[in-house]
Amino acid sequence: MMGLFSRRQFLAENAMGIGSIALTWLLQQDQGKQPKAIALAKPHNDLLPRRTHFEPKAKAMISLFQHGGPSHMDLTDPKPELTKYSGTDYKEDIHFSFVNEASKKLFGSPFRFKAHGQCGTELSELLPHTAEIVDDICLIRSMHTGANGHEVSIRYFHGGIPGVLGRPTLGSWLVYALGTESQNLPAYMVLTDPGGLPVDGVTNWANGFMPAMFQGTVLRPKEPRILNLEPPPHIRGKFQEQNLAFLQDLNRRHLESHPGESELEARIASYELAARMQTAAAEALDIEKETTATHRMYGLDHPETKEYGTRCLIARRLVERGVRFVQLFHSGQPWDNHSGIVSGLKSICKKTDKPAAALVQDLKQRGMLDSTIVHWGGEIGRLPVTQEHGSPEKAGRDHNGQGFSIWMAGGGFKPGMTFGKTDEFGHRAVENIVTPNDFQATILNQFGLKHDETLYIHSGQEQIITNKRPARVVQEIIA
Amino acid sequence: MSLRKLVFLVAHTAILFWFASCAKSQEPTFELHIRPILRQYCFDCHGATDKKEGNLDLRLVRYMKLGGDSGTAINSEKPIDSLLIQRVISGEMPPGEAHVPAEKVETLKKWIEAGAKTDRPEPEQIGPGVPITAEDRDYWAFRPIARPIVPEVGNKAEDRIRTPIDALLKQAMPLGVSFSADADRETLIRRAFLDLIGLPPSLQDMERWSKSSYENWFGQMIDTLLDSPQYGERWSRHWLDVAGYADSEGQTTADAVRPWAWKYRDYVIRSLNSNKLIDRFIVEQLAGDELAGTRNGDWTAEQIELLTATGFLTMAADGTGAGDNSPEARNKVIADTLKIVSSSLLGVSVGCAQCHDHRYDPISQVDYFALRAVFEPAFDWQQWRVPDARRISLYTNANREQAAAIEQEAQKIAEERAAKQKLYMAEALDKELLKYDEPLKTELRTAYEKPEKERSEEQVMLLKKNPSVNITPGVLYQYLPKAAEELKTFDAKIAETRARKPVEEFIRAMTELPDRVPDTLLFHRGDHQQPKQKVLPADLTIAADEGALPLIPERASNLKTSGRRLAYARWLTSGKHPLVARVLVNRVWLHHFGQAIVPTPSEFGKLGMPPSNPALLDWLADEFTRSGWDLKQLHRTIMKSTAWRQSAVRDEAKSAIDAENAYYWRKSIQRLDAEVIRDRMLVASGTLEPNLFGPPIAIKADDAGQIIVDGQQKRRSLYLQARRSQPVAMLQSFDAPVMDVNCERRPVSTVATQSLILMNGEFAWQQAELLAARAMREAVPLSPEQFPSQPQMPTPLTPEWRYGYGEFDEQSQRVTGFTDLPHWTGTEWQGGDQRPDPTLGWVIANQNGGHTGARFASIRRWTSPSNSRIRIDGSLQHGSPNGDGVRGRVVSDRRGLLGQWKVLNNKAEAKIDEFVVEAGESIDFVADCIANESSDSFTWTTKIAFSVTEGIPQARVRDSVAEFHGPIAADSFAELPSQLHIAWRIAYCRPPTQAEFQLAMAHVAEQLRAIQKDPRGIATGSNITKQVLVNYCHALLNSSEFVYVD
Repeated sequence: MMGLFSRRQFLAENAMGIGSIALTWLLQQDQGKQPKAIALAKPHNDLLPRRTHFEPKAKAMISLFQHGGPSHMDLTDPKPELTKYSGTDYKEDIHFSFVNEASKKLFGSPFRFKAHGQCGTELSELLPHTAEIVDDICLIRSMHTGANGHEVSIRYFHGGIPGVLGRPTLGSWLVYALGTESQNLPAYMVLTDPGGLPVDGVTNWANGFMPAMFQGTVLRPKEPRILNLEPPPHIRGKFQEQNLAFLQDLNRRHLESHPGESELEARIASYELAARMQTAAAEALDIEKETTATHRMYGLDHPETKEYGTRCLIARRLVERGVRFVQLFHSGQPWDNHSGIVSGLKSICKKTDKPAAALVQDLKQRGMLDSTIVHWGGEIGRLPVTQEHGSPEKAGRDHNGQGFSIWMAGGGFKPGMTFGKTDEFGHRAVENIVTPNDFQATILNQFGLKHDETLYIHSGQEQIITNKRPARVVQEIIA
Repeated sequence: MSLRKLVFLVAHTAILFWFASCAKSQEPTFELHIRPILRQYCFDCHGATDKKEGNLDLRLVRYMKLGGDSGTAINSEKPIDSLLIQRVISGEMPPGEAHVPAEKVETLKKWIEAGAKTDRPEPEQIGPGVPITAEDRDYWAFRPIARPIVPEVGNKAEDRIRTPIDALLKQAMPLGVSFSADADRETLIRRAFLDLIGLPPSLQDMERWSKSSYENWFGQMIDTLLDSPQYGERWSRHWLDVAGYADSEGQTTADAVRPWAWKYRDYVIRSLNSNKLIDRFIVEQLAGDELAGTRNGDWTAEQIELLTATGFLTMAADGTGAGDNSPEARNKVIADTLKIVSSSLLGVSVGCAQCHDHRYDPISQVDYFALRAVFEPAFDWQQWRVPDARRISLYTNANREQAAAIEQEAQKIAEERAAKQKLYMAEALDKELLKYDEPLKTELRTAYEKPEKERSEEQVMLLKKNPSVNITPGVLYQYLPKAAEELKTFDAKIAETRARKPVEEFIRAMTELPDRVPDTLLFHRGDHQQPKQKVLPADLTIAADEGALPLIPERASNLKTSGRRLAYARWLTSGKHPLVARVLVNRVWLHHFGQAIVPTPSEFGKLGMPPSNPALLDWLADEFTRSGWDLKQLHRTIMKSTAWRQSAVRDEAKSAIDAENAYYWRKSIQRLDAEVIRDRMLVASGTLEPNLFGPPIAIKADDAGQIIVDGQQKRRSLYLQARRSQPVAMLQSFDAPVMDVNCERRPVSTVATQSLILMNGEFAWQQAELLAARAMREAVPLSPEQFPSQPQMPTPLTPEWRYGYGEFDEQSQRVTGFTDLPHWTGTEWQGGDQRPDPTLGWVIANQNGGHTGARFASIRRWTSPSNSRIRIDGSLQHGSPNGDGVRGRVVSDRRGLLGQWKVLNNKAEAKIDEFVVEAGESIDFVADCIANESSDSFTWTTKIAFSVTEGIPQARVRDSVAEFHGPIAADSFAELPSQLHIAWRIAYCRPPTQAEFQLAMAHVAEQLRAIQKDPRGIATGSNITKQVLVNYCHALLNSSEFVYVD
């Protein structure tokens, strides 16, 4: 056998023969029992905790995805010029998705904006609760996907390339690179809406070319929230314990006749984990354990906020128990206000504003916000011009991927700041533009990962989350 | 394979290269060390293209010295000042994000310092692009396949060298490592079955092969398995993985269903079962349409088979017919198809050469487009055909005529119907107009009967004013209900007639448009909007020696098609191609052993791993092509080796040397594929439906959104519909591929969700129940030697309600002489078939009460199943004024008399307040005649309500009426041992050892006791014996032994 020295030497000498990634990886294998680093030549198939490239700020992330394109000029990005010239024709070129209803008539926001908090960030009257946490969030007003379509931009955010399916999603990358801290729960969990799946369906949390273990585990929108978590009623309790004890006896005997087979050991462990999950997951999902005050804080006492609030609260409980990445989705795309934007926005804001703000406040009061990233945002924004429907109350806005807002909180993002600008009408991001690839690079950075060295080898090719598209860590918004 | 195993393989094989290169020179040379760096970082701009950036050409050292616009790239005086080094160190080169890593810069420096040497004199001239060098050609995968000399190693008998495979493996083994003993016969039978047909042996198979006294039983068994139709089902799955088989189109969110893909799946099964030679198999799949020629009358069976084969080229995700028919989408279909072709047959990733020369392997962008040109006439992106436009109808002329004739029939009926309808409409109008007087009546009729467009304004107004006259066929039923009914019968007849048309089936084929051979243009940076020069069809340049690459015609003169794919397929299967045979035998080896000789089966290039045993790989490849590409023969060759037949058991000493079994000194255990796990469960439960072929089995989302099989489908998993967006949850959790492009190799994961699915999922429980039922049916009595000393089974519990007779003893205040009534009439218990019974008299027990006897009381006995508190509510009634009435007593065998009532033509509430009972305590409801038994029919209904209990849910109630029963078999545990035994044999294809049987019995005995104490452990409709058996079967199906094969 080759000694360590000669093997290293061989690797150094033959680096070109097997490729540099293989080299990095093979050298890492020599480093004994330290947690494995993540720049691997060969995909790993486990969720063991892994070493990061540098000290991480964040340990977990909750993403409140707002499908459809929240109208930034009505919510987060006040545009006095737009109000001033409301009703006149916009001079610049616009790309419309709905050409049949296209209009160039500027449409000033019907909602009032006001400065809030110490930082004085202006928000619309539609977001009274977000206004209360404005000193804890970092509002980015210069997001840019360059494409107006929903799917194109959604896939860009999740998978790294506009419009392209079949790639692992952000949560997959994080879980692949970092492993899990929870011995009892899946590392990547998705909370869907009782109304149904979001646009683009299950691909929102797909594992793409990674193994299935890196895909999001969907919590059902109603009880039971995890599948296969409960045995048939007559098997519960001591009967299941007896069955499992017998099963594990069989498995251990089998292992004894195949000593040293790590897969068989892992299989025994996976039954133990499964048994633990049965109780741990039930416990994690049991929001009755929370105080009435907490229930109220998330709006569980009001029909409009109860459902979304419950999911926000569950998200916190999951992160509290070591889940790495939790993402909430809406059914369809409630922020896609092509018509009736005034009533449409009111209703979706009513549903989400309070629970989202409560989540940030709650994490903060529990001392978890520093290590947990909260993300709120959709895939696009909306146009400054009206989408005609004959009457003002029917008016809406068409898609806009040229400029829009999202906000981040916790996990080392600078609190109480706004970043970037759109033009005077809110049409295009013009200053400090942030793309979904920048967003991904920055998030990985907060987890202690270099996005361009967090590699997965697929079909012999190095893959990174951004697919090597231009991406930068947005240092300006990091504390 | 684990990471450690991969590391080991690299280390092991590469060590040879290392020594070789060390011996040659310690200094870096251009060919070995520098050129790969330049290929990776520089050649895109300074070599591959006609115009070199800054006029700097890095392809030859003398060009480097010559330099470009900025001067020489190599400064031999001051190496560190060389522009080549400086530009790289400063990060200026290469432009963009990528940088040359420090250790490579170091290599560059060392090389220049040592004089920028080459191993050989450089060529006088080089052609365009980056030339292929001797080093490139000397790479193991591109060398011609050479049959190695099979070494005479070891002692044939002692080292158990059965075949050349063993000799080649033995030769590579280090000291201290040698083959293990052969696996025992039972293990070999299981292994062979699961390997070749993906199903476990039945009890009869086990019996047959384990007892066969035929010397060559093993060879005979392999032949039998290879001849069975299940062989094709199993091995087609392996090929369908790399072919990227799916029953949906993918690419768009809708993921439209791909209705006829299954015909290709069936073609693969058929081909493998008939042992179609693999060269032919490949040619058919790549160019079946070119072989088939044009249709002359009906498609012949042979033509259909050939066209079906081209389904292989239609496997890539293709959403062009389902909403995204953009040029990007079309070109993606082509790129994906090339990926499927190259990863399944060539084992190299050509994809990166779509945009630029391959960074690691000698595959240029021109090569990529030359390969694309082979397929371009079929995949003409400028005159694109969406999937439906490519499908071929299997209607014969006869079918078509028949269909036309039937349509004529249908038309005839339709005409009859129209005539009838006209009559009825007129009738309805006449009837309606009766309501009107003249002249309005005539005016309305005139208006109505005028064609709509010709009506005058007044007429329109008139009809509007009198809406009920506007009779249309749609509302005819409101006027003449019967007429409408009659018309419906015509509709049904028309539908029936049309249903008689022969079913039109299609195949999903790949063909070329006649008389069109599109040009293939190289796309700059892979962008179809930047087409450059025309590229002619060819294989990869590296695939043959210079000048030896066979010509692929731009347009064949002897065919109606371009002939490109046919020529290409023939070259691939000529036996001279360096990659194809190696790739194929490597895959076959992988499936037999769970580990491949080249661990990266679709990446034989530098990004993959080298072969662990190059000689073995080449021997197999050569043997395979020599045999005429006979796959079944290859299976035999492999399976007859000691390497395949040896035991899977680890040996400590050998493990210490080679823990990962890289040298094949034992057979590695293998986790069964997802499909095999599901299929094996169906076999164990005895419900697998063995029929072959056909449209895919429907799947559906359950109420939780989890994808499951629709209904009670029991066919092999191969036939489940493979929707890209809707993977069947259980299969996916066990690593079945979800096709994006194709699956080059399945990972083997072990995660808790698998355990949860098997532990709690409905499917595993259903199969456990079926296996238990089967064990009950098939159990055979165990012989004493199979069943020597076993753990004590608990005593079965008797039924809670019993019906008997006896007496109440005033002295002891207890019931004495309780005896079950011996005769059941079908509705009542009594003393014998006569009434009154000569001995027992009139004693009767029925649902609501019974009759007392002269000597004996009628006693209804209830035995408490648990320690509890109970309350008794009851009603005792006597309905005759004659006689002296009836006395009722409630008596506990532990506590004595609890209450008594007398009734005579009246009713008493027979209630007992809450009291404590123990498990097994009898509560008797004793009815006697007082003195006179005449007219002593009585009604006595009782409800026993549990309150505080141990193990019984609160408020559970026993009801003497509802639970009244005739004879029932008391729980019997007598059959359990034989049932456990056979279930074990069915699940594991082997009997349990004594110790295992003991373990099983002990577990079952323990669970019986637990359920006796707490009957909540029994499912509704089941009983204790069955339940423990189901639970036990469920554990077997969950166990490692069930999902692994050794």
